[in-house]
Amino acid sequence: MATSIRGRGGIGPALPLLTPAYLWLVVAIFLPLSAMALFSFMTELPMSGRDWSLTLEHYAAFFSSGLYVTLLWASIRLGLEVTLWCAIIGFPAAYVLARVLKGRAREAIFLLVILPFWSNGLVRIFSWAMVLREGGLLDTTLNAILPFRIDIDLMYSYPAVIIGLVHSYVPYMVLTCYLTLQAIDNALIEAARSLGASRLQTLRRVVLPLAMPGLLAGSVLIFVPVVGSFMEPRILGGRTGTFYGTVIEDQFVAVFNWPLGAALSFILLAVVLVILSLSAPILRRVQ
Amino acid sequence: MMFTTRLLEALGRVWIGLLLSFLYLPICIMALMSFNASPFYQLPFEWTTGWYADLSRNGRLLAATWNSLQIAVFTTAIATVLGTAASIALFRYEFRGKRLLQALLFPPIAIPWLITGTAMLIFFFGVGIGRGLHAILLGHVALALPYVIVVVSARLQTFAPELEEAARSLGASQWQVTTRVTLPWIMPGVIAGGLFAFAVSFDQFVVSYFLSTPGEATLPVEIYAAIRKGFTPEINAVSTIIIGISMGLMLVTARFFKFGGEK
Amino acid sequence: MAEVVVDKVSRSFGSHKALDEMSIAFPDKGFYGLLGPSGSGKTTLLRMIAGFDFPDAGRIAIGGEGVERVPVEKRRIGMVFQNYALFPNMSVAENVAFGLSVRGETRGAIEVEVKRALDLVQLGHLGERRPHQLSGGQRQRVALARAIVTKPRVLLLDEPLSALDKALRVDMQIELKRIQREIGITTIFVTHDQEEALTMSDRIGILRDGRLVQEGPPEEIYDRPESEFAATFLGDANILRGVATGNGIRLPDGTVVVANQGTKPAVGTSASCAVRPERISIGEADNATLGEENRLKGRVSKRIFGGNSSTYFVEHRGDIIKVHVQNNGGTSLAEGQDVILRWSPESAVLIGM
Repeated sequence: MATSIRGRGGIGPALPLLTPAYLWLVVAIFLPLSAMALFSFMTELPMSGRDWSLTLEHYAAFFSSGLYVTLLWASIRLGLEVTLWCAIIGFPAAYVLARVLKGRAREAIFLLVILPFWSNGLVRIFSWAMVLREGGLLDTTLNAILPFRIDIDLMYSYPAVIIGLVHSYVPYMVLTCYLTLQAIDNALIEAARSLGASRLQTLRRVVLPLAMPGLLAGSVLIFVPVVGSFMEPRILGGRTGTFYGTVIEDQFVAVFNWPLGAALSFILLAVVLVILSLSAPILRRVQ
Repeated sequence: MMFTTRLLEALGRVWIGLLLSFLYLPICIMALMSFNASPFYQLPFEWTTGWYADLSRNGRLLAATWNSLQIAVFTTAIATVLGTAASIALFRYEFRGKRLLQALLFPPIAIPWLITGTAMLIFFFGVGIGRGLHAILLGHVALALPYVIVVVSARLQTFAPELEEAARSLGASQWQVTTRVTLPWIMPGVIAGGLFAFAVSFDQFVVSYFLSTPGEATLPVEIYAAIRKGFTPEINAVSTIIIGISMGLMLVTARFFKFGGEK
Repeated sequence: MAEVVVDKVSRSFGSHKALDEMSIAFPDKGFYGLLGPSGSGKTTLLRMIAGFDFPDAGRIAIGGEGVERVPVEKRRIGMVFQNYALFPNMSVAENVAFGLSVRGETRGAIEVEVKRALDLVQLGHLGERRPHQLSGGQRQRVALARAIVTKPRVLLLDEPLSALDKALRVDMQIELKRIQREIGITTIFVTHDQEEALTMSDRIGILRDGRLVQEGPPEEIYDRPESEFAATFLGDANILRGVATGNGIRLPDGTVVVANQGTKPAVGTSASCAVRPERISIGEADNATLGEENRLKGRVSKRIFGGNSSTYFVEHRGDIIKVHVQNNGGTSLAEGQDVILRWSPESAVLIGM
C-alpha cells in the first residue's frame, strides 16, 4: 500500500532526470540500430551523392551466395563450442567456489576469476599469441620436457581461436553459475544425501537442475558475443579465422559496401534478438 | 567417506588453480616478455626496460593513450551524472512505461558491440556527426550508461524511501533531499558506477574501432593496427600498462561494490 | 491556532476508494488517535495531511489555511515514521538539525534549538552518536526531537511505537504524552493498537473502508459505541441481536434486554445490544431468578485463565458470550457448569441496524 502511494501516475516529475540519459541512448544506440535496418534495404548510401533506391538485393545475396550462410553457421558453431568449453571449465570451478571454499579465500578467488574480465579483451587475446606461436612458451616448454622434438604452432589455427575466446568468456560462466550455486540451500543437498543419494546422483538430480538457470544465463551471455566476434579470429586465427564477424568488419573497413554490411549486421541482430528473447525469462530469474 | 570428501575438495582446489593459471599465465608471460631484450621473445631471459623507453618515444601510441584517457574521463563524468539522475528517477517515481525504460537498458549491454559499432558508424556518418573522437565519446557514454544505472539502482535498492519523505516533511526541497539525503547514501554505488564507466570506455575496442579515423584513434585501436602489422615488444609494453591500469581500477571498484551478490 | 480540518476528502487508487468523503476536525493542541483495521484509510489520511499525497476531491486546512495543493515541504508539519527514518549518514544532532538547516537558519540558532529538543527527549548527551548506535527507544526519541524542533503546526505520528517491545512501548506512551502536553502541539496519531489509542488520545476517530465510523473522547466511544463495528473494534463486546422493544430488545428466545445507553431504534425493527464482557456478572444457575430482564442462562464451555482475570466463554443457544471476571479469590466455575449471566441496563448499549 505504502509504495503504491509514492509518486502519482504521470511521468512528468521524472522527466528532467530521465530525459538526458535516455535521449543519449536513443541517439547513440536506438536510432543507429534503426538506421542500420533502413540502410540494409538501400542500393547506395544516401549521403554518397549517388542515386539510391530500395532493394532486397543484400538479403538476396546473403541467402543465394551460400558463403554468408556458411560463415554464419561457422560462427554459430564457434559460439556453441566456446560455450560448451566454458561450461565444462567454468561450472566445476563455480561449484568449488560456492560450496567448498569459504570466507576470505572465496572472496579473493572469486575476485581473481572475474578480474580479467574487466581488463582489455584485445590485449588478453594478444597475450595468447606469445604462448601459442612457434617458439612461444608452449612450444619451448614442451620441447624442454619431452625427450623427442615436436613442433607446436597453434597460432593461426581454429584451436587458437577457441582457446582465446574461452579465455575471454569463461569468467561469465563462473559468475552466473556461482550466483545460482551459492543460493542453493545446503539443507537440500544434505536432505538428498540423507535419503541415500550418492554424490553423483545428488549432483545430477538436485544441484544441476537448481543451477540450470545460471548455466543457461552464462551460455547466452557467452554465445551472443562470440557469434559476433571478429577481433579474436583475426588475431589468433589468421587465414583460418574467417567468420561471420570478420566478413561484416570487411564490409565496413575494407570493401566499403556498407549497405551489405548493414544487412549482414541486421541478420546477426535478428539471430541475437531471437536468442535473447527466448532466454529473457531465464535471465530475469538469475537477476 | 571422509577421505573421499577430502580428495574431492582437493581436486576442486586444483581445478580452481588450473583455471587461474589459464586466466593469468598468458598475461604474466606478456608482462615478462615486455622486459625481455629479445625482440623475438627468445629465451634466455635478458632484462631490459628498453621497450618502455621506445614506447615513450612512440608518438602515435602516446597520442592514442592521451585520447583514450581523455575519452574515458569524459565518459565517466557524463555517464555517471546522467546515469545517477536516471537511476534516482526510476527509483523515486512510479509511472506507466517504467518497466519499458528499464528493459531498454538491456540491449546496449547484450547486443554484440560489432552490431552496435557498425550501426553507430552508419548513423553518425549519415546524419553528419561523422567519425572521430567526438563520435567515440558519444558511443562510449551510451555503452557505459546502462552499467552506471544498473550499479546505482542496485545501491538504491538498499535505500529506504521513507528517508526522502522524512526529509521533505522537515521542509527540504527536492534538490536538498537529493543532495543531502539520497546522494550521500548511494555514493558508494555512484563511485562504483563511475569506475565501471571508466573501465568500459578505457577498454573499449570494437565501437572505437569503427568510429575512429587514422588521426583520431584510441589506444586499443592503435594496438590492433600494430598487431595486424606484426608483433613487437613495444605492444607488450603498452599492453602490460593497460592491463595493469584496468585491473587496478577494478580492484578499487570491488571495494565499493560487491559483485557476488553475497550478503 | 493550528486546528486541522479535513472536509469531504476523497481519494481512490484505481477502483479502490481509500477515502470516501471523509470529514474530521482535529482540535488545536489535541491528541487525536486514528484507529482502524488495515485498509481503512487511516494511513492514507495521515499522508494526505502531511502532503505526501493529494485528495481527488475535498479540502484540507491547517490553522485555517487551505493546504490541499501545498507540497509537503511547505506545510510546516512534523512527522514521526513507523521505522523512524533517521538519516544513517548523519549523527543524532545532525538529524535533529536537518529541518532547521534546510530552512537556512544560522549555525548558532540551530545549535541552541537542537540542544533544547534533545534535552526535551532526554538525549542531550547522545548528540554525536550515529543512529545505528542507538537502541529502539532512543531512535524513537531522536525521531520525535527531529520532528518537533522546527516548531511545526501539526505533529503526525504513523504507528510510531509499533517497532518497540511492549515494556518500552508503555514507557514511550507516557513520554510521548508528556512531551505533547509540554509543547502543546496538535497531534494526529495513527495506530491499529486499540489499547494505545485509548490510553493516549484525547479524541479517537474510528475508520472503516475510507469512512469515519464514529469519533469522540475514548470513554464515550468505549461506553457508547454507535455500531457493532465500533463496539467490537474498540475493546471486546458481546453483541446480542433481537427486535427493538423501545427501551431494549427482545431476544429470539423471549428474553428481554433493557438498555439505558445508546439511541432507541423504532419498535419492531431489528436491533442489537452490545455488552462489554467485564460488565457481565456470572453465577451458578439459580431457577428463581430466571425470566427477569438482562438475565441469560448458559453453560460454561471454556475458561481461560489470564492471571489477574479469567475469561469465561458461556454458550447460550448456540451463541458464545464472553465474560471477564477478576480473580479476587472467589471460587471459580468449572467448564460444563450451568450458569446465570446478568448485567445492569446501564451496561447495555442499544444499536440500531
